[in-house]
Amino acid sequence: MSQANAKPDAGFFETVFSRFSVRDAGTLIGLVVIMAVFAILVPGFLSERNLLNILQQSSINACLALGMTLVIISGGIDLSVGPTAALSAVLTATLLVLGVPAPVAIAAGLALGAACGLFNGFMVAIVGLQPFIVTLGTLSTFRALALIYTGGNPVLGIPDSFRAIFNGSLFGIPTPVVIVAVVALIAWGVLKKTPFGEYLLAVGGNEEAAHIAGVPIARTKIAAYVISGTLAALAAMILIGRLGAAEPILGNLWELDAIAAAAIGGASLMGGKGSVVGTILGAIILGAMRNGLTLMNVQSFYQLLATGLIILAAMLIDRATRGRE
Amino acid sequence: MTVPRLAFEAVTKSFGPVQVLKGVSFDVAPGEVHGLLGENGAGKSTLLKILSGVFRPTDGRVLIDGKPVDAHGPVAARRAGIAMIHQELQQVPRLTVAQNMFLGRPLTHLGMIVDHREQERLAAQALRAIDPSIDPSAPIGKLKVAQRQIVEIARALLEDAKLVAMDEPTSSLTPAEFDRLAEIIFDLSARGVSVVYVSHKMDEIFRICSRSSIMRDGQLVGSVDMKETDQKSVVSMMVGRELSQQTHTSFATDQVVLEATNLSSAAKVRDVSLTLHKGEVLGIAGLVGSGRTELLRLIAGADQRSAGDVSIDGKPVALKSPREAIASGIGLVPEERKREGIIPLRSVRNNIALASMSRFAPHGVVNSRALKAVSATTLKETGLRPFAPEREIRRFSGGNQQKAIISRWLAAETRIFLFDEPTRGIDVGAKAEIYALIEKLAQEGKSVIVVSSELPEVIRLSDRVLVMREGQLAAELSGDAITEEAIASHAIPQSPATAAGTPAAPLAN
Repeated sequence: MSQANAKPDAGFFETVFSRFSVRDAGTLIGLVVIMAVFAILVPGFLSERNLLNILQQSSINACLALGMTLVIISGGIDLSVGPTAALSAVLTATLLVLGVPAPVAIAAGLALGAACGLFNGFMVAIVGLQPFIVTLGTLSTFRALALIYTGGNPVLGIPDSFRAIFNGSLFGIPTPVVIVAVVALIAWGVLKKTPFGEYLLAVGGNEEAAHIAGVPIARTKIAAYVISGTLAALAAMILIGRLGAAEPILGNLWELDAIAAAAIGGASLMGGKGSVVGTILGAIILGAMRNGLTLMNVQSFYQLLATGLIILAAMLIDRATRGRE
Repeated sequence: MTVPRLAFEAVTKSFGPVQVLKGVSFDVAPGEVHGLLGENGAGKSTLLKILSGVFRPTDGRVLIDGKPVDAHGPVAARRAGIAMIHQELQQVPRLTVAQNMFLGRPLTHLGMIVDHREQERLAAQALRAIDPSIDPSAPIGKLKVAQRQIVEIARALLEDAKLVAMDEPTSSLTPAEFDRLAEIIFDLSARGVSVVYVSHKMDEIFRICSRSSIMRDGQLVGSVDMKETDQKSVVSMMVGRELSQQTHTSFATDQVVLEATNLSSAAKVRDVSLTLHKGEVLGIAGLVGSGRTELLRLIAGADQRSAGDVSIDGKPVALKSPREAIASGIGLVPEERKREGIIPLRSVRNNIALASMSRFAPHGVVNSRALKAVSATTLKETGLRPFAPEREIRRFSGGNQQKAIISRWLAAETRIFLFDEPTRGIDVGAKAEIYALIEKLAQEGKSVIVVSSELPEVIRLSDRVLVMREGQLAAELSGDAITEEAIASHAIPQSPATAAGTPAAPLAN
């Protein structure tokens, strides 16, 4: 004890390592194995440039998956992240084209994402509908709103000033990667260090017991969906910054990739269990695999097959090692 | 010499290096009702699982009528004539009584279409023998637990079971329902069906069983004839030592801490008024379903009252949520720990932290050092064993989970502790610890309400006892007036005709 007081650094490292769970270590090993395989098969796979490429390609899914992880931990699911992103993208792009300053347009887009999440959260936590059904409903509804508003056409002409924000780099690291890294760090801190994180794990782990223990159930659940919606909007900003246009159909099937990343990372769809570190690693696993297969010129059919097999393999390993920590 | 119906021959079971059963041998005669006793972890459940085919013994044999049961698996066990009635009944709530009785082996036309009519006819026939009031075509989820149990017994009869094993069958039965079950068991015995009866409750074992086997630490301590022994020696065989029967000490003061007037709820509670003093242990007795749990939940803010007022230290409180109640110093230790108490995947420490976030995270970030220190202090106070606050709470025994929940409220600086069946599913040794803890709370000037179905427990713990009947207070007993007879007489609903002249008539007002 006195040692830890004398050397706060030791305490810090101790904390970091004790927080890095066995399950996360498993996900990390999975990532290392996949990287090793591609390093052998694909020349230049481990080049700095390609590694940054992988991170950049994973950033959008990682961003969504972080929000998804919080929702899954709370015992829910958010199928509406893709259409939420599309709505936000369309709004932000429209405002930008009208000449609204980028910060205002971004804020409006994020606020719309949060509002979408608030609606989901309200239906789940206050009205008491099942998360799967609620977000299945909003999946169609939000998509339809985006299509109706744009008439099905992309919003073109996003100014370069906006694109520069998301296409730049910081100390050689692409901005989207930096943004998502910061978000991940915040999410990690929230889950590990704040009452909200504690409540989230409790609500998903045993809602009735959490209620008796004084956890504000509705508030906690709603917050998870609001965060998920906001992060979906943030992912949309990254994408339209890269593309320079906002398609109302953008984000199709994003929810499945996000769920996959969270599940590979150890989130349990039963709720009460999930890891920010794991989810990030899960997103990178999916990203690295697609990148590697693309470099190998493998048909996209096989990429889909590989994604499916990875998810199943992760779940089997999960099953086999459960309860042995 | 007759062949025993059931014989365990040197049954041993190991999981990896851990030996959980060490050469257990005993016999059960045809038609005998045989008790199986032991603390949690003594190996009773493992033995039952071997009997019902879930586990295969590492060594040794199980014989039915002298023939070894070799085939493995629950189906094989059933075929050998062994019927198992689990504590948590294994039924599909939405299916009918008859469908449940034929679950896994439906009667069919030509092996294709389920013959519901024939199933219901046979189900009715089996039920007639024990409880004709049960409708075979009713969804089983609509029946009471006691009736669902009877359905399981009827299913055993239907399958011509030679042996029925019951795992704590009375944990959710009322005394009257237990009487009915006892009759059915005697009836089974008269038909030559043997019964293995697992229970924690001594008085039940002594009433129902002719012999009992007592287990401790995976070994058989001995098999005893119930006529030649008494509760005290059976308990000492179970725990390996004599439990001192402590007497009740009161720490109650005159200072009123909580006062409830005319509390009612939509569900069960009707017009209940009570006061709770500093340092007092207030018992609430009554039959299952008399509204005791519901009353506690109103005070804990878990349910909403439809009428009435509650004040704490003379100040009215709304108690709209558990959160509000906790802020007022109230903490509920619920009956169903698994469902309402613990967050299974979280550590003991995190389970404690949950109720005191305003204390541990005043500025939005959890102070893990303070949390560590406070949880360690409170867990030492309650005596968590093994002392591993970092370990997932689901890995602890029921008694230690209960200690963790009590620690949760100690950490939250709770002043009013509400216990709902504090020792349900807890073994004899831990029970004494929980009693000592409750007494210590009172001694420290905290106030306690204890709801319990076990009369000796209520009597042992309480300074004052309120008896509930059909949602209302039927009586208030204190001092020497607290006896099992008095509580029972007030708890049992009276028909208007008999109630009029008997001394057991309601005392209220």
